[in-house]
Amino acid sequence: MSCRLVRRHLGAFVDGELDPASQIEFERHLEACPGCQENLAFERSLRQLTRESIGDVHAPEHLWGRTLHRFDEIDATRAERNSIDARPMHLRHTWPIATAAAAVLIIGGVMGLPESTPYQGAGMLQDVINLHSQALPSDVQAEAPQEVVRYFQGKTPFPVRPAQFEEPGMKFVGARYIRVGTQPAAALYYNHGGRRLTLLVFQSPEIMRNAHRTHVGGRELYYHNVGGNVVTIRQHGGVNYAFFGDLDRPVLFQLAANARVAY
Amino acid sequence: MPSKSKQVEAQRQLFETEARPHLDTLYSVALRLTRSPVDAEDLVQDTLVRAYRFYERFEAGTNFKAWLLRIQMNSFVNRYRRKSREREVFEGPMATPVGEGVMSRATMRGLTDPVGDAERRLIGQEINRAFDELSDDARAMVMLADVEELSYKEISDIVGCPIGTVMSRLHRARKQLQGSLQKHAVQLGIIDEEDGEFESPIPLEAFRSRKAAKP
Repeated sequence: MSCRLVRRHLGAFVDGELDPASQIEFERHLEACPGCQENLAFERSLRQLTRESIGDVHAPEHLWGRTLHRFDEIDATRAERNSIDARPMHLRHTWPIATAAAAVLIIGGVMGLPESTPYQGAGMLQDVINLHSQALPSDVQAEAPQEVVRYFQGKTPFPVRPAQFEEPGMKFVGARYIRVGTQPAAALYYNHGGRRLTLLVFQSPEIMRNAHRTHVGGRELYYHNVGGNVVTIRQHGGVNYAFFGDLDRPVLFQLAANARVAY
Repeated sequence: MPSKSKQVEAQRQLFETEARPHLDTLYSVALRLTRSPVDAEDLVQDTLVRAYRFYERFEAGTNFKAWLLRIQMNSFVNRYRRKSREREVFEGPMATPVGEGVMSRATMRGLTDPVGDAERRLIGQEINRAFDELSDDARAMVMLADVEELSYKEISDIVGCPIGTVMSRLHRARKQLQGSLQKHAVQLGIIDEEDGEFESPIPLEAFRSRKAAKP
């Protein structure tokens, strides 16, 4: 065994990560080789010095408290969701829509989906609606819309950019990677005068099946009626852009039709 | 419903008990990755919030600390890294090859078992400086292996690459650190200038054969 080989793998030797046979061979070599012994002593000493000078950092006192506060918020939403789930089935259909929060309104809509829907991609559509109502946390924040493209690189098989809306009141609030059915998707979250809009970008021919087709402002637009709600879909280069939100139907159609999705 | 909220409460308690002991580790790694106390706090809080949300996805019996660190590493890569160029370095094979024997024997001796607090402190400062100059990937590697003393398997899970890759990335990171220390060996006062000039450009092998040639 050469000194060169021993020194190349001295780090792994000190880490105890060599296979047992090599470990023994290394030990044997080191016993007989003062030069390598010196290297070994150095390797160990530097490890120790590194640990001493870089480690031993303590988290600031308030950090845990600050984090617990966030947990409280999560617990509160969970408790709320649980109490909704715990209600008897029939209540969901008679939920007072006018007073319910936006998320609840959509849950009501989903539950109202007739079971006999002959629609193949119904599961996917339901996913679209669920993903909106769950309002999952964003990975890319509103302050950094330029991060969106980079964030989705390697995650989705197609490039993702935040859609641009003509409406000046439309605000980008965040984005995250997600799945619609089994398809990798980009979820882009927007806010329009306090109402949420979710844009899901993914590839799925199924979602186009049985979709209604219309034209709004010269743009081709597809849509599905789902239990009183409407999901609007645009298609560009084999990619689907599904818009869903707590918005009135004409507003949603208008927004979806005028959005710049592929540019 | 009371039973549901009790369930939430129990889950919360369990998570707190499991996560609290790792707060210092998370913060210390976060601080070294972000190089900023403010960003480090945000990163840790983010990590814990995410872990709490997805707590049911954690496989009981597996390494909780490694799981937290994996979440943190992902958050860091996704959110806190500004330049895409750096990201390539972080995820792909690193650009600059590191030769063997970057450390001269004199520097090596100077760094082995330093005598006295003053010398230790000086070397500590120098290691800090050298460490902060490392790439994101190298800092992560040194942090996880040398400071947190995690196994290659754990690191491979956290960083998301095969064990063999951990080995070579770690080797490279340590060599980079040593190379930087070598450059500052003169300032460190552990070798004098002439020694440095004499020793540093000569690879260990050549140095040995020269020594052997001496009568």
